[in-house]
Amino acid sequence: MLAYTLRRLWQFIPTLGGVVLLVFFVFNFVGGDPAYLLAGKIPNPETIANIRKQLGVDEPYAVQLWIFVKQILSGDFGASWSTNERVSTIFATRLGPSLTVLIPLLMISTILGMAAAMLVAYVRGSLTDRAVMVACTVAQSVSILVYILVFQYVFAYQLGWFPVQGWGVAFMDNLLRYSVLAIIVGVAVSLAPDIRLYRTFFLDEINQDYVRTARAKGMSETRIMWVHVLRNAAIPIVTNILLQLPGLLAGSFLIERFFGIPGIGREVILAVERSDFPIIKAVTVYVAIATMVVNLAADLLYKAIDPRVQLK
Amino acid sequence: MNTAARCLFVLLLAVALPAAAQNKILHITFQAAETGFDPVRVHDYYSGHVLEAVYDTLLSYDYLARPAKVVAGAAAMPEISADGKTYTFRIKKGITFTDDPAFKGKKRELTAQDFAYSIRRFFDPKNRSPYAFLFTGKIVGLDEFSARAKAGAKFDYDSPVAGLQTPDRYTLVIRLTQPDRDLPYVLAFPVTSAVAREVIEAYGEESPSHPVGTGPFYLKRYVRSSKIVLAANPGYRGKVWDFDPGDNPRFKQIAERMQGKRLPAIDGVEISIMEETQSRWLAFQRGETDIEYQLWEVAPTFMTDDGRLKPEFVRRGIQIDRTVDPEITYLYFNMQDKVGDTPNPFAGFTKERIALRRAVAMSYNIDDQIRIIRKGQAVRAQYPIPPGVVGHDPKYVSSIPYDPRAANALLERYSYKKGPDGYRRQPNGDALVLRYYSTPTERDRQFDELFKRGLDAIGIRLEIVKDRFPEMLKMEKQCRTMVRHAAWIADWPDGDNFMQLLYGPNTYESNNACYKSPEYDKRYTRSRTLPPGPERDRLYHEMTRIMETDTVWFLADSRIRNALQQPNVVGFTKHPVLHAEWLYLDLDPKPQY
Repeated sequence: MLAYTLRRLWQFIPTLGGVVLLVFFVFNFVGGDPAYLLAGKIPNPETIANIRKQLGVDEPYAVQLWIFVKQILSGDFGASWSTNERVSTIFATRLGPSLTVLIPLLMISTILGMAAAMLVAYVRGSLTDRAVMVACTVAQSVSILVYILVFQYVFAYQLGWFPVQGWGVAFMDNLLRYSVLAIIVGVAVSLAPDIRLYRTFFLDEINQDYVRTARAKGMSETRIMWVHVLRNAAIPIVTNILLQLPGLLAGSFLIERFFGIPGIGREVILAVERSDFPIIKAVTVYVAIATMVVNLAADLLYKAIDPRVQLK
Repeated sequence: MNTAARCLFVLLLAVALPAAAQNKILHITFQAAETGFDPVRVHDYYSGHVLEAVYDTLLSYDYLARPAKVVAGAAAMPEISADGKTYTFRIKKGITFTDDPAFKGKKRELTAQDFAYSIRRFFDPKNRSPYAFLFTGKIVGLDEFSARAKAGAKFDYDSPVAGLQTPDRYTLVIRLTQPDRDLPYVLAFPVTSAVAREVIEAYGEESPSHPVGTGPFYLKRYVRSSKIVLAANPGYRGKVWDFDPGDNPRFKQIAERMQGKRLPAIDGVEISIMEETQSRWLAFQRGETDIEYQLWEVAPTFMTDDGRLKPEFVRRGIQIDRTVDPEITYLYFNMQDKVGDTPNPFAGFTKERIALRRAVAMSYNIDDQIRIIRKGQAVRAQYPIPPGVVGHDPKYVSSIPYDPRAANALLERYSYKKGPDGYRRQPNGDALVLRYYSTPTERDRQFDELFKRGLDAIGIRLEIVKDRFPEMLKMEKQCRTMVRHAAWIADWPDGDNFMQLLYGPNTYESNNACYKSPEYDKRYTRSRTLPPGPERDRLYHEMTRIMETDTVWFLADSRIRNALQQPNVVGFTKHPVLHAEWLYLDLDPKPQY
């Protein structure tokens, strides 16, 4: 397993190199010139030239690329071009709010999704199964924006159960007051695709020989489902959850924007709007590294969950 | 309930009630995230609100005077030399900065040196100030000082600048290279606020997160892009609400309730960044915010067609303050012969080119823009200087009407004939394509459709070029956009701020049409030497007619700002130039309605 882990870590280098080149290319040739945004209402060529010099975007591309590589190696991506805030501070302060929403969201949607998926897989072909699948298809085809607008209107405005938006200082206040509606929206959005996906995983397992054998031996249905089927279906489910994580962190911008949560996703969108390359660079590199690490972790977890799995 | 519990309840009530009664916190929103609060570095609209609340400028504005009028700020009104080149400011004594560790436990008084230092900071290359243009070429010796730094020399804040003198602790003398009537406006602009050198040096690159000023509020808590909490500055110099309401009935009501109050009358301001209109609108309706004025998209929900608040909101005591923003939106034609490397068939001053531009202008239905895109919350702009700005002429009527039939006739007359595909060609038979630049946003898509509808009616082929906003800005400043919608909001309430947009030497800066007309420029140069008044207004009229004759722009609209307020808000009216009116209002804990 150690040799496997080291080999996979070694493979990170070319993958990350590809990401770096891609980000660098996209920003420099498609991303727009930040100097014009920062130069204000009446920029003159001299101001533009000074801003470009201060930002270092007047350097040859090779030099800029080398600076980017050094930043990755040192973990110091400098400061935001728009706000002068250190990128490390941005991550340190925005990660907490994002995780305050995402961790409960992921836990609740996974538990509910697995329970519902197991239930409908168990009664496959029944009216319940079909009804749930139709409902999931409908729910999945509705945009996240609709969920946000409707839930915010009904639960926050009409019923007044939650604040429309906001974020406080205390963790518990944020978790129990400001995050709840955002978590409900997140769960509502992710539940339908999760149920459909997990159902197929459970169905694969239910049709296996070992389930038939267990039934023939007189094992209870509860034990078959909760111990044997769940354990075997857990491998693809864990993979799915782990692979969602990095993307969720940066991709939760809609929820964060509508509910006023000062998280990473919202910061990424702001950075894109402002052509704030230091933040874009850092997010892209961190998400790439996180994805690779999570992939590796998922593979190692397979082995832990199912000892029959061979890592090669 | 036992005795102990009762005692505890009474005790809690006794502690909580006075606190609640004293706690007058104004809750408002920003539509976009701020970028920071270092005055010279600010480059967004919303951060300017906080600057105004936290810092002091040399001059300020009368809250109720319309058009807006400059009054004393941290300094008395300046003494101006006979040649108009020397301004002497006397800083008010006893104004102190809010406490900060950078002052090492001592009270720090505001001095003339702070203002001189703050002006120099615009030219420090490290600050990348987007507002350096405010002083460029204006103050004796400052440009040379800046040029030395740009050439690589250390930016020496201690070396003297001839045009920035502080003969004593409270006197600032500014010597100009030539008379400049805009200087008082510039010095009332929040980016010219005074900062303390110790604070800037202590926080360095982090200065945007550590605003320390002498204004009515100080920054109490700050979560970037999310929450900005300001508290009333206990050491504020003791301004008293005293403004002349004139004949305006609404201003009279405000004056009745506010006259004589010590400012700031509120204890603080809590600003939430809410980008989404739905969130802001629901939050306001739920009473989570006190003032909301960025609700154009949902205006029909609360406004009647004749521009009044719907009865259900009136019954709830919601108040409205309705003003026209000091801005214009317009569509400009690039007047350079080539756009990039491509010949520009819409440029030039020949009769047929002017006719072509005029036909395009006459095909665009501005009333539809106001009705569909603005949801009725805008007024047609007839004159380049909007309402609320000195030089505006409410009687002026544009000479460019909406008339597609006449536009077609004009094109026929100048030999822009339709080809077999139904689209017109140039008189020499070449293809005629109007390249229109816009960003890939929902709002711009609406403009695209409206523009296309107008051009289809006169048979001109439209090609829409989409790009991101920064790239669009870059192309615009390099005169590489053929046609584009643009907007300009007043930096200060003087017509010059708008008329300079077509001044030839401002090409590559603010003159996006890259328009160079000797006749226009001659009048503009002359207007710069005149005080506001009939003679300058006459020149502005002539310049506007020149612009219309050449059809460089066609003016579209000025948006209406509907500021909704909860019943407890007292004394609020949107000032045309001031960003944050928080200093001048109060919150009534028991509103009557």
